[in-house]
Amino acid sequence: MFPTPIRKTSAPTRAFYYVALPISVIVWLLPLFAVALTSLRSIEDLNRGNFWGWPTQTRFVENYTAVFTQSPMGQFILNSIIITLPAVAGALTLSAMAGYALAKYAFRGNLALFSIFIAGNFVPFQILMIPVRSLMIDVFPIYDTYWALIIFHIAFQTGFCTLFMRNFIKQLPDALIESGRLEGLTELQIFWHIVLPLVRPAIAALAVLEFTFIWNDYFWSLVLVQSDDVRPVTAGLQSLKGMWLASWQLISAGSIVAALPPVAMFFLMQRHFISGLTLGATKG
Amino acid sequence: MADVRLKGVTKRFGAVEIIKGVDLEIADGEFCVFVGPSGCGKSTLLRLIAGLEEMSGGVIAIGGKDVTRVAPANRGVAMVFQSYALYPHMTVQENISFGLRMAKAPREEVERRVKKATDMLQLAPYLDRKPSQLSGGQRQRVAIGRAVVREPDVFLFDEPLSNLDAALRVQTRIEIGKLHQDLGATMIYVTHDQVEAMTMADKIVVLNAGRIEQVGSPLELYHRPNNQFVAGFIGSPKMNFLTVSAKPAEGGLSVTLPGGAILRLPGATRPGAPTVLGVRPEHLTAGGEGDAKLCGTLKLCERLGAETMLYIALDQGEELTVGAGGLFAGEPGERIEIGVNAASCHLFDNQGAALVNGSLLRDREG
Repeated sequence: MFPTPIRKTSAPTRAFYYVALPISVIVWLLPLFAVALTSLRSIEDLNRGNFWGWPTQTRFVENYTAVFTQSPMGQFILNSIIITLPAVAGALTLSAMAGYALAKYAFRGNLALFSIFIAGNFVPFQILMIPVRSLMIDVFPIYDTYWALIIFHIAFQTGFCTLFMRNFIKQLPDALIESGRLEGLTELQIFWHIVLPLVRPAIAALAVLEFTFIWNDYFWSLVLVQSDDVRPVTAGLQSLKGMWLASWQLISAGSIVAALPPVAMFFLMQRHFISGLTLGATKG
Repeated sequence: MADVRLKGVTKRFGAVEIIKGVDLEIADGEFCVFVGPSGCGKSTLLRLIAGLEEMSGGVIAIGGKDVTRVAPANRGVAMVFQSYALYPHMTVQENISFGLRMAKAPREEVERRVKKATDMLQLAPYLDRKPSQLSGGQRQRVAIGRAVVREPDVFLFDEPLSNLDAALRVQTRIEIGKLHQDLGATMIYVTHDQVEAMTMADKIVVLNAGRIEQVGSPLELYHRPNNQFVAGFIGSPKMNFLTVSAKPAEGGLSVTLPGGAILRLPGATRPGAPTVLGVRPEHLTAGGEGDAKLCGTLKLCERLGAETMLYIALDQGEELTVGAGGLFAGEPGERIEIGVNAASCHLFDNQGAALVNGSLLRDREG
């Protein structure tokens, strides 16, 4: 068997494995742990330089309440939801349809088109900053509205999503689709009743991934919107910073609040992560 | 119910011509089998009839109507795929009724047709199961059921049995034959297995490299192959071919066999240089009785119970397969004489075209 199961390797290898694995987990979780701990501290603790020690007082309720009272946090979260949900839905819809076309239709230039989708993923988004901003101020007057972020995220994420969906749909047996055609289904019916149910795990995985990407986006939240009415939570966190002193305990608490929806999304979608949905379609 | 006519059908994938001009007529209610080695274009031809591939040239008519440019769903055909192609997220019932429901057929109509199909195929106990909970044979029956509910004029089967084990294959073969009797629909069936072709077909179409080699009933192909390809493809074990020389003699040909024996073949001589003598293993006799004799050494015996296949090396080096009785007594290494009967011999020219066919079928017909 490859790789060799850990239990069957030599003693030194096993020892190294059992020591190294927990260490890497701890190292990986350390920043998160620090943020969580900081969100419970009082400002005095931080002023005294107690960054890593145990908090002298637990200020859980105070800090987390302050996040919502000292800044328009509720508004920011609402903004994030208003931007993220349509953006994820739009990117998934477009990419599932584009992916189906690229995976199952033989037309001239199919591969070239697919290559463009892949190539688009390698464009560093920073170089898009100036043109996209100008576009949204001068050409389409949507700068500083929800639409600016929704439309940009849909456009930008569809490339990766299409690559993902195309490869997943490619795996479905052609005979299933041909069978649908022989039964007189329209292409839309085939897509809706045959393809979509079978790529549900892919869509769920992609939904979680995209939700996290878009929710956590900071760069475009800074570039495309300005006012508190539309600013998403990532960019909104800076309003907790205070004018003269950085209230790290509040910023930490705000960060944790902002990170919760993607986690919730993961657990919500988890039951759709089922492998082997196409089992039984063919000989297998 | 409908007949199927193909005229000058060609199909190219890029520069490669897969189907090179096929003309064929399949009568209403006929069971027609396309058979040939892999890559001969038989599945492609079926997919052209189904409308799943676009034709490069030619005309296809079903029931007298030109369907060359008609969408697959409107051709009055239903297809059973080699891989079953069941919708894995639907139950058996949903799979079978899916096409009708999508076409917004009335509820009672859907129920009536599904009930008829599932009764016919004994699928009633499995209606609520998903395909993954079915055995291979059951899945294939569901796939057939999905075709039956469409009540098509023409059924298309693309190697439907090749994923089943041997016992199930025989059983399903019989079921399909029965289905054909019950429904009386035209059926076109693709297989590479010549046993399936022989047992099921009214008409066999032998394809090779994108062309039709011969069309005929199973016995016609077996007894009167047009050429060496068909002679070798139909029949198992395959026909023996011996290089011979022949010259005209009174009322026929005088053939010199390896080893010098002379065999007289009756029938008119046709032009062309006869070079290959074909004779089926089951028509040779291990013992030497016949119109001429060949001598060789027994190399291997395959004892099948009902018969014994003998693999013999002739003294001149050529190899020969002979069918003998199940209780054949010889052992490998022994010398053996083989009798050849003129009535069962075929003669081919150096292009492979048949000059003389054996007369067994003619003799029977009197």
